[in-house]
Amino acid sequence: MNEGLYWEGMSLLDFARGPALRWAVIIFVIGIVWRLTALLLASRKQLEPAKGSATSGGMKTLLTRSAPAHELEKNIVFQHYSGYAWHIGMFVVLLFFAPHMLFFKDILGFGWPTLPNLFITFFTVVTMGILLVLLARRLMNPVLRQLTTWDDYISWLIAFLPFLTGIMAFTHITFGMRYETVLALHFLSVSALLIWFPFGKLMHAIFIWPSRYKVGAAFARRGVRA
Amino acid sequence: MSATTIPDYGTLGERAAAGLKPKGLSDEQKIAKAKEAFLAGMTADMATYLESCIHCGMCAEACHFYISTGDAKYTPIYKTEPLKKVYRRELSSMRLFNRITTRDITVQDLEDWKELAYDSCTQCGRCSLLCPMGIHIQSMIQVVRNGLAAAGLAPAELQAVSDEQKDKGSILGAGSDKLREVVERVRAKGVDVPLDKEKADVLVLSSALDFLNDESVLEATAKVMNKLGVNWTIRSDGFESANFGALSGDRVAQKRISKRIIDAALASGAKKVIVAECGHAYPVLRWEAATNYGKELPFEILSVAEYFGQELKAGRLKLKKAGNGASHVTFHDPCKLGRMGGSFSEARDILNALGVKLTEMESHGRTNLCCGGGGGVSMLKSALPLRQKAFELKRQEVERTGAPTVVTACNTCFQTLEAGKAWLNWDKDIVNLVQLVSDNLA
Amino acid sequence: MAASKTVGDVLRAHGVSRRGFMKFCAATASMMALPPSMVSTVAAAIENARRPSVIWLPFQECTGCTEAITRSHTPTLEGLIFDSISLDYHHTLMAASGQRAEDAMMQAMEENYGNYLLLVDGSIPTEEFESHSCTNGHTHLSMLKDAATGAAAIVSVGTCAAYGGIPKANPNPTKARSVQDLITDKPIINVPGCPPVPTVLTGVLAHYLVFGTIPELDPYGRPMAFFGQNIHDRCYRRPFYERGQFAETFDDEGAKKGYCLYKLGCKGPITYNACATVRWNEGTSWPVQSGHGCLGCSEPDFWDKGSFYRPLSAAYWGDARTVGIGAAAGAAAGLAAAALARGKQKKAQQEEKA
Repeated sequence: MNEGLYWEGMSLLDFARGPALRWAVIIFVIGIVWRLTALLLASRKQLEPAKGSATSGGMKTLLTRSAPAHELEKNIVFQHYSGYAWHIGMFVVLLFFAPHMLFFKDILGFGWPTLPNLFITFFTVVTMGILLVLLARRLMNPVLRQLTTWDDYISWLIAFLPFLTGIMAFTHITFGMRYETVLALHFLSVSALLIWFPFGKLMHAIFIWPSRYKVGAAFARRGVRA
Repeated sequence: MSATTIPDYGTLGERAAAGLKPKGLSDEQKIAKAKEAFLAGMTADMATYLESCIHCGMCAEACHFYISTGDAKYTPIYKTEPLKKVYRRELSSMRLFNRITTRDITVQDLEDWKELAYDSCTQCGRCSLLCPMGIHIQSMIQVVRNGLAAAGLAPAELQAVSDEQKDKGSILGAGSDKLREVVERVRAKGVDVPLDKEKADVLVLSSALDFLNDESVLEATAKVMNKLGVNWTIRSDGFESANFGALSGDRVAQKRISKRIIDAALASGAKKVIVAECGHAYPVLRWEAATNYGKELPFEILSVAEYFGQELKAGRLKLKKAGNGASHVTFHDPCKLGRMGGSFSEARDILNALGVKLTEMESHGRTNLCCGGGGGVSMLKSALPLRQKAFELKRQEVERTGAPTVVTACNTCFQTLEAGKAWLNWDKDIVNLVQLVSDNLA
Repeated sequence: MAASKTVGDVLRAHGVSRRGFMKFCAATASMMALPPSMVSTVAAAIENARRPSVIWLPFQECTGCTEAITRSHTPTLEGLIFDSISLDYHHTLMAASGQRAEDAMMQAMEENYGNYLLLVDGSIPTEEFESHSCTNGHTHLSMLKDAATGAAAIVSVGTCAAYGGIPKANPNPTKARSVQDLITDKPIINVPGCPPVPTVLTGVLAHYLVFGTIPELDPYGRPMAFFGQNIHDRCYRRPFYERGQFAETFDDEGAKKGYCLYKLGCKGPITYNACATVRWNEGTSWPVQSGHGCLGCSEPDFWDKGSFYRPLSAAYWGDARTVGIGAAAGAAAGLAAAALARGKQKKAQQEEKA
């Protein structure tokens, strides 16, 4: 599995595919576990008789929160659907581009069918477009501006770079760089993402589950569907 | 139909604030106290919420104060900013790093956030239902209030009443003496009120806010209770539903005030405690009191609407078809009873039994739009312009139902809707559920 | 072989027709990416070029490069060019042997000092392993240094000479080095490949004959004209890649239909060579056409880049054990952080009560 990782005169691509990614994965795992276990703080045991099952309510909210009630959702249509589009686009590109699938197959030991490149190109362009629009929105919308921290911009960049380097490698629009350099940058951008993931807001991909569960449980205990 | 029997909360607040004794804390002490309260409130759940915010700003669109003003600072999660900062710097697993990137809170921050945590938050919990990450923003804002209260920065109106209630058990001077006086007035009308019975199955709570102006709410409640024929009582040592400790954010006061009721209920051997039509009182007693008390309680806690609804279902409460023109109504879910309490169907069952046509508002049940008066906000003079703007949303939703009458089951909501009528020259009838039930007993 | 004859003389002596010669020149010009108007210039230049003396030194090598070039020659265009140079020393190909062969080399080097072209195949062992590869009692390192001194330019033939190749593969037991690692004061043209495409080698020599200069090189010292584009871009199977049609194994339906070999580890996207355009054995076929993915043999350290059958996008992410240790470390750090935080919380809660 790890043969040939180090040798004299390793190229940038070799470094990106090998040591950079390895360390990134290790930091990624350490970081996620660290930040999750650090949340194991004291909690108060609720002594009031519940109106509903907190557990099942929590589990339900994991999914139902993705589709809020109409009267709540009607004001956030743009954010909501752009969010959907970006996440769906990202996952399509991440999982259904053949080389990406092979990356995961190598780790997981099994593969799955992939999409023709035309679709991948489409989704990549759409996804990058949405990211740019969302960035512009963050820069201009006063609600977002007051909430925004440097983390938001770093996380944006970290999420954007794999798409940028990916489509550069894919289309061979390399601005004078060699293909394998761009491919290496693509790998490195993914390593950067893995390294940043546990420490920035990308971690929301993990936190969303305990958080949704807890709010669902808190309301379900009171007999309210959240 | 009943006339306005609830006093104007704003006036009450002003009266109370005048008597506030300042805590006299230095700036350092204020910050230390606030931080301490923040840290004490950061349970595992709270930490998870604090870690989860992705700064998407969607919660703004759930908040009646933001929607009606468009002012970014009313974004719910923004109201928790001091809490977030303290978490990042003190408790987060990234704290060593965060201390470089996150500025510490200042007294100015706390002063600035007073408006955001009190004036512009009715603790309605609607944002907690929208947040895509599932952050319970309402519960976080309560911790912000805890911190501000600890620093002596709660609004004077709330802090004064909270202190009074904590120490004397009365609200604006209305304690057990006032209760006795009001009970006498009700009895004079020929309605029996079993005050201070030694033992009773049902302990009914009232509230000073119910009877400061007149005795009609207590009278209506007593009528229904007598009709039900249960062994009930009101105790002068524990009748006050309202918990100004919870509203001001003073946790010690909140616990002590809840304990008074628990002790009274235990002493009377009651199996059920009926919370008056007082919004926040219900969740504070029903969902927080036992935990704060530290023991499971041997009695049930129900809101009036909930209790009446249950009795109706059991066939013990019999109602006739409603008269007095209340034929077409819409029901305003009090946030504290509904979204924060879990009682939706009982009030509707009662309206159904009364044979009135109920047209629901677009936002009803768990997504109900707050009237803008809850969480102590209606007491705050400074919040008045903001409340008036937020009320417009409620008015529009009510208008769209076409119903001439709005029924609700919370004094604060009632008072706010009544005030709204005055602001807007609005031609709606506002009716309390308990009044409606008592007027239509079969 | 007299070095004084021009290329034209030799070609005519061998009965090559004008038409055949022009065809060769046109092909050469097109390979070098020269415009058609240059063909006559190329022809004139080649015809009048004096046959340069060429010395070919094989070092730590497998003779595959020589094999490839000789096997493809009769009577191809590639062969012609070999007749156009004066190959004064090539110990595999030359008739002479022993001391006579060495004398021939010494003589050629002396006669053409400063002008001969040095072709090298094979890598060179160095340091304590220098003596592990010798010819006639001379270490290859010393031979290279001697021969390089009088050379006009050096052509590193094959990946071993260009980048160290297989001998240099991890753990490099002989401390093998490439020519460019050892000689830094001469123009060096790398013609890598394991073996290199014969036409590419002849093309490079043709360029040298025509222009008397070394061609434009890429960052790895390879002529841009032949190594300027990667295999993937020129691959006739590229449309299948775009459509997402891949051979999953070497004998499945996809393999039979000639689908893309990316999933089987083809290194085409990161390999720069002319295989896909020039092909091998008179343009008959090339590795991908024969159903096997590109190994990337013209790239530095190609032997050390993991399995030939591992898809390019599969990385070396570590293993479950390392990840497990990471998770355990993370959990330990997290629990410690939580314990500290709990302490703070408790203290705050107690003070609140007081």
